[in-house]
Amino acid sequence: MDKLRMNIAVIEPSDIIFEGLSNLLMKSERHYYLFRMKDLDELQMQSDRKEISVIILNPVVLQNNMPHFQKMKRSMEGVFWLSLVYSYFDNKLLSRFDETLFITDPAEIIARKMQKLLSKPPDIDKCGKPGQLTEREKKVLVQMVNGLSNKEIADNLNISIHTVISHRKNIVEKTGIKSLPGLTIYAISKKIVPLDTNPV
Amino acid sequence: MYQTHKTFIRPGAKMLDLISENPLLLLLLEHLEIDFIVDDKTVNQICSENNIGTPEFLLLANIYNGFYPDEEALDSVEDVGLILRFLKNSHHYYKNDKYPEIRELIKKLQSRHDSKDIRLIEEFFANYFEEVLEHLNYEDEVAFPHFKSLIGNRHAAKANNYCANDYREHHTDIETKLADLKNLLLKHITLENDLSNRRKFLFSLFELEFDLNIHVIVEEKVLLPIIDRIENSRLHG
Repeated sequence: MDKLRMNIAVIEPSDIIFEGLSNLLMKSERHYYLFRMKDLDELQMQSDRKEISVIILNPVVLQNNMPHFQKMKRSMEGVFWLSLVYSYFDNKLLSRFDETLFITDPAEIIARKMQKLLSKPPDIDKCGKPGQLTEREKKVLVQMVNGLSNKEIADNLNISIHTVISHRKNIVEKTGIKSLPGLTIYAISKKIVPLDTNPV
Repeated sequence: MYQTHKTFIRPGAKMLDLISENPLLLLLLEHLEIDFIVDDKTVNQICSENNIGTPEFLLLANIYNGFYPDEEALDSVEDVGLILRFLKNSHHYYKNDKYPEIRELIKKLQSRHDSKDIRLIEEFFANYFEEVLEHLNYEDEVAFPHFKSLIGNRHAAKANNYCANDYREHHTDIETKLADLKNLLLKHITLENDLSNRRKFLFSLFELEFDLNIHVIVEEKVLLPIIDRIENSRLHG
């Protein structure tokens, strides 16, 4: 699935709060897909077939349900759990979540909290301008376009295969182009390779 | 569960309201050969007038509105033939409607900008279309007849040249290249002006992508699980 699109499961009993939260998230920079679920059971069922990255949950639904919650949290690795709070909850309970959203939080704060969790802001390269390839990545791209294997690229550039793979991953992420023919067009139109290159 | 901003369709809903909310449902009607004059009729009425099972229609229509089918919806499917007909008709739409349209739009762009980039795009699309055709033909000639015989004939043998995994792999490739094309146009390829033709081109790609995406969901989340069930019950029954 596209890295910039993210599935969020929301467990919140109030329609008004849910609609408000979803409108807020829809307007943020990231592309979120929201799925509203009734309870932990539904979440468990759906999480098998949907790639869910974030769960926003009103701790109200956890009443008498703590063991189930703990178990699910352990079983869903790499998923962020956020509590959505508008009544009093014990700090000990809230500390089990990765982050807490308060109903009084302004939109920017919520966006910032989400962004902080998901750590990497979309499309910003460590070495400068967003989306631009580094010189090294361009070199790898040229060899890819010429049909060389990872092993050959590694040998030619004197780097490890592991590094080649990580460059490839960055190239795909920055350009948004996954197929080799697509990358060839990209490379030609950006004048990284000459026009007479035969698209692979 | 529901995805925000679109209605979960129920039998009593007015078709006209649903189309106003999600005009892409017209594609569904077309694939099921249902006329667009829906008057004030409900989903239920339209289904019975067209001899189409309401559960099957609801399952497909709700996919158009963003809801994946659950077990219950799958259980409600009695007419697998209808699902096959839907898929076959959408093939017809890709081959004879959408792809020629996109090719025309590329030609139009090319006539105004004789740039190397457009030539590359044209080539990319031509190759891509060939791959898609190959896949569609495989389905029409191998997979669907196999499914049809399974549904119709209790003693059908497992076809040896059909493989569900092949099926899935094709899909990923078709989706990836289409996404690449969109990204090239929206992020990288420089063309001057001509916004109207470029918009038409992009809209057309988005429309195709949307319907292809539904197509894949129907095949992978509806058809294949049902076929698996039938094959399993044959093996053990």
